[in-house]
Amino acid sequence: MLSVGVLYLVIIVCCYAFLWPIDRNKVLQSLRLSRQSLLKLLPFLMAIFGLVGLFQEYIPPELIARFLGKSSGLLSLLVSSFAGAISIGPPLAAYPLAETLLNAGAWPPAIAAFVFSWITIGIITLPFEATTFGIRFALLRNGISFMAAILCGLLLGLLL
Amino acid sequence: MTLLRKQWLLASTILLYVFAFLSNPERAQQALIGSAVSFSSVLLLIIAVFCLVGLLQIWISRDVIVRLLGREGGIKSLLIAAFCGTLLIGPAYIIFPLLMEIQKRGARWAVITIVLTSYAVKLQMIPIEVEFLGWPFALGRALVTIALAIPIGLLVEAMMEKWQKPL
Repeated sequence: MLSVGVLYLVIIVCCYAFLWPIDRNKVLQSLRLSRQSLLKLLPFLMAIFGLVGLFQEYIPPELIARFLGKSSGLLSLLVSSFAGAISIGPPLAAYPLAETLLNAGAWPPAIAAFVFSWITIGIITLPFEATTFGIRFALLRNGISFMAAILCGLLLGLLL
Repeated sequence: MTLLRKQWLLASTILLYVFAFLSNPERAQQALIGSAVSFSSVLLLIIAVFCLVGLLQIWISRDVIVRLLGREGGIKSLLIAAFCGTLLIGPAYIIFPLLMEIQKRGARWAVITIVLTSYAVKLQMIPIEVEFLGWPFALGRALVTIALAIPIGLLVEAMMEKWQKPL
């Protein structure tokens, strides 16, 4: 993740450097606006990361796996979408967890739903999403994505 | 008081940590360390995203965004969104501000939603996913996700527009 960050930053710095000779006042204005919006949202970002830390300590992946392992069939589809929605973490962390669950005999569609909702739905980040986009969009998007996670699992079940 | 209302999320997070420290200092410390680690690992990404927000506000005209990512963009705008979503790396929530800026400048809601949905597929990480979950699962999941992203985007957009008036 760090190297990707460096790469993105290098690209952005190149853009700024390229634009500097064209109109330095506009470049400075861009930087000012960037700083403004960063400072405005920084407390929110810090709060979200704080919540993520709490979540990972108190509801670790193993606990979710145990939770998922107990259900079966259509119920597991629902449970895994929900488990994915409350969990948070990088996609990379979802794969090993999904592998463990599959090896443990979980239903593949349920795992597909889990990975889908893990990334697209964030109950923990919902407050942040609502402040940025408005509560209506945040609820709509997350709600529809929840149903889509189930659908994604079912479709994959048909494909496999 | 206004500060508290404005920073309610940070305030409640701090409150949770206070509870955590009171009940079990060791675990609370672990949680705090975990937060710090994940925050520092994406800090550069966050800075890059905000620098991009600034660039966008000053250099990219509303017309360009409307043409590429607005209604005028047609199906092309939706495909661009799906493509960007599968390529972008990092937690989805750090690009929220960037997406909101694009929306304010004329991108349609479907575009925002599609980026966030197709986030569930990571082109660069498909080899890793294959290693863990096997070809049929990884590819099937990618296909289904992309296929779902566009209808979900259009559905969210339609509902956003339908509810615009009464609220």
